[in-house]
Amino acid sequence: MTITTLDPKICEEFIRIVGRENVIDDPERMDDYSHDEFSLRDISRMPALVLKPRSPFQVAAILEIADQEKIPVTPRGGATGLCGGCVPSPGGVVLSVENMNRVLEIDADNQMAVVEAGVTLNDFEKAVEEAGFYFPPHPGEESAMIGGMIATNAGGSRAVKYGVIRNYVRGLEVVTPRGDILSLGGKLIKSSTGYSLLHLMIGSEGTLAVITKAVIQILTKPSVTRSLVIPFDDLEAAIETVPLLLKKVVPLALEFVPLDVIQITEEHLQKKWPCGQGETHLLVILDAASEDEMDRLSQTVAEIALEKGALDVFIADTAKKQDNVLDIRSKIYEAIKHDTIEIMDICVPRAEIAAHVKKVRAVAQKYGLWLPTFGHAGDGNVHTHIMKARHEDGQVIPISEAEWREKFDKIREELYDDGMARGGVISGEHGIGLVKKKFLSRSLSPEQIELMKGIKRAFDPNGILNPGKIFD
Amino acid sequence: MNILVFVKRVPDTESKIRIHHETNTVIEEGLNFIISSNDEYAVEEALRLREAKGGQVTVISVGAEESTTILRKCLAMGADEAVLIKDDLKETYDGLRIAKMITRAVEKKFPHFDLLLFGKQSVGADNAQVPSMVAEMLGLPQANVVTKLEINGTQGTALREIEGAEEKVIFSLPAVVSAQKGLNEPRYETLKGIMAAKKKIIPVMTLEELGLRKEDVAPQVDITKMEMPPARQAGKIIPGPPEEAAKKLAELLRREAKVI
Repeated sequence: MTITTLDPKICEEFIRIVGRENVIDDPERMDDYSHDEFSLRDISRMPALVLKPRSPFQVAAILEIADQEKIPVTPRGGATGLCGGCVPSPGGVVLSVENMNRVLEIDADNQMAVVEAGVTLNDFEKAVEEAGFYFPPHPGEESAMIGGMIATNAGGSRAVKYGVIRNYVRGLEVVTPRGDILSLGGKLIKSSTGYSLLHLMIGSEGTLAVITKAVIQILTKPSVTRSLVIPFDDLEAAIETVPLLLKKVVPLALEFVPLDVIQITEEHLQKKWPCGQGETHLLVILDAASEDEMDRLSQTVAEIALEKGALDVFIADTAKKQDNVLDIRSKIYEAIKHDTIEIMDICVPRAEIAAHVKKVRAVAQKYGLWLPTFGHAGDGNVHTHIMKARHEDGQVIPISEAEWREKFDKIREELYDDGMARGGVISGEHGIGLVKKKFLSRSLSPEQIELMKGIKRAFDPNGILNPGKIFD
Repeated sequence: MNILVFVKRVPDTESKIRIHHETNTVIEEGLNFIISSNDEYAVEEALRLREAKGGQVTVISVGAEESTTILRKCLAMGADEAVLIKDDLKETYDGLRIAKMITRAVEKKFPHFDLLLFGKQSVGADNAQVPSMVAEMLGLPQANVVTKLEINGTQGTALREIEGAEEKVIFSLPAVVSAQKGLNEPRYETLKGIMAAKKKIIPVMTLEELGLRKEDVAPQVDITKMEMPPARQAGKIIPGPPEEAAKKLAELLRREAKVI
């Protein structure tokens, strides 16, 4: 990868702002900042400089210079994104929020946490739990940072009952490309005060302003949680159970997973899933205020599932067993990552999941590629993994690069078309970034994209913030 | 095979333990309680033996009324019967006291058995005394810290973990075996199992019924102080370029840690 250098004078100014110890310019170390978690390194780009500011004032000073000199700036959190959202522009600057990593306040009376953008999900959860509270959204990867999670409007499996990050962000401190530090929203449940710039920031993928601080709603902890693993002999029966369940019970999470990827993950983690029967499993995570209520809820779920042909209902109730189940579910990606080209995250109305997954299977058949599909049955967000492999009789058989490269786009097109025809969107929780950019027009009308570009220009007239992401 | 399994209700290992310093007890408020993990391996092993050889699995716990919750879980896993030996004293950390109760219960109420299964030690007290004491008092062979168990007729073969190796012991039944992690992977309860378990009656035995007087089971252990283990010290970070840092690390490992 080539490195485009910056004018040495400007470099000096940047270094003066953040301090030498908060700058990376050594190519070997900058390589870490050239990509995110998307598997194909073709999209990686080397930045000219990595800056790690410690305050919004430093961010403002950096942006002012960058705006004046028209230097691209790419904000970066934990870089756990899956579609190239934080891949820098060549010759540009990476603005990593990793040093802004303090939990500033847990306000128990208002049930709000105030945190800097570089706090990881892991540290955030710890702080919230220590204070006796609970933060429901859980987008899998715990090294993700708050700023990045907000910038992508991250979701995760607990969205069924508790919603996505957007439902928890109450206030933001952001720095605009002009160097203005804005305070949006606050420790407020309601606001009808003008356009919501706050919500415009959520999911904007670092293209409008740099998020430096967030006020996040936290909840009281449910007293009892329980995970049910329900094996079915076929996918349809499993998926058809979902709407029936949701009529009676609102679970914390409701996932569907095929047994083959579970077994690969069991092997990978050396952990045991509750049961090895069936073909597709539902994972239902429930929360309740009491053991009695939990028993009633579990009973209801079990009755509906067994009626639809579930083979049995397995229970994980101790923390250890629940963690075990959740860990296997959360790490499927880690287990099959080696052979994954892309994890798609099409979101369809949840009643359309079964039909969409059938289409995925037909496409897999047609192209002779393994497309393991699982995800959030409760909210319609389907994760189809496009693999560099076939899967036959439990064996993963790699295929040639020429072959999968030729099929990669065709598969994506067919699946996006199917998702859109069912009233879906191309991304439910990962964002557009670079990887899905060329498909955006399948999901949004030209008028909508034009309005979005207008908003981008209003915030960032010189187009320096994370250019080339979402749209050109 | 007639198998008796002994289980204890303990705080969930994932819970945050707090100590009440005036009374030298663990604060129970906000704690979840579970079957001690080693005991769960014992229950699983008993169920597997019964599935292979037929017979009956009876699970027994010594403790307060609350222990019926874990007994019900054992029934949900598939145990045939569960019995509570009611002891109103909170955790006494007195292994001999519990062993006496168990011995008496076995002699008086369950004289016909082939195998007594325990966890190698309970989470929390971690004394690892009760299985051996019961074996001694009943005059039975014992195999502790067992990671593999085979039963053939009236003969048992067990692999037990010893320092740096595994020991194979052969013993005759009836016997006492205590289970260790690795023996098996305990099954998850099923909802059908839980519902069936709800309908079962869990008989309660009092100490009087076992012919034990108060003085027979008076705690002999006095807790004078209870403290959390010291926090682990933070790791050392050796700064500098890799070549120098590596040299320094080797030196520290040799001089300070004395491991190379």
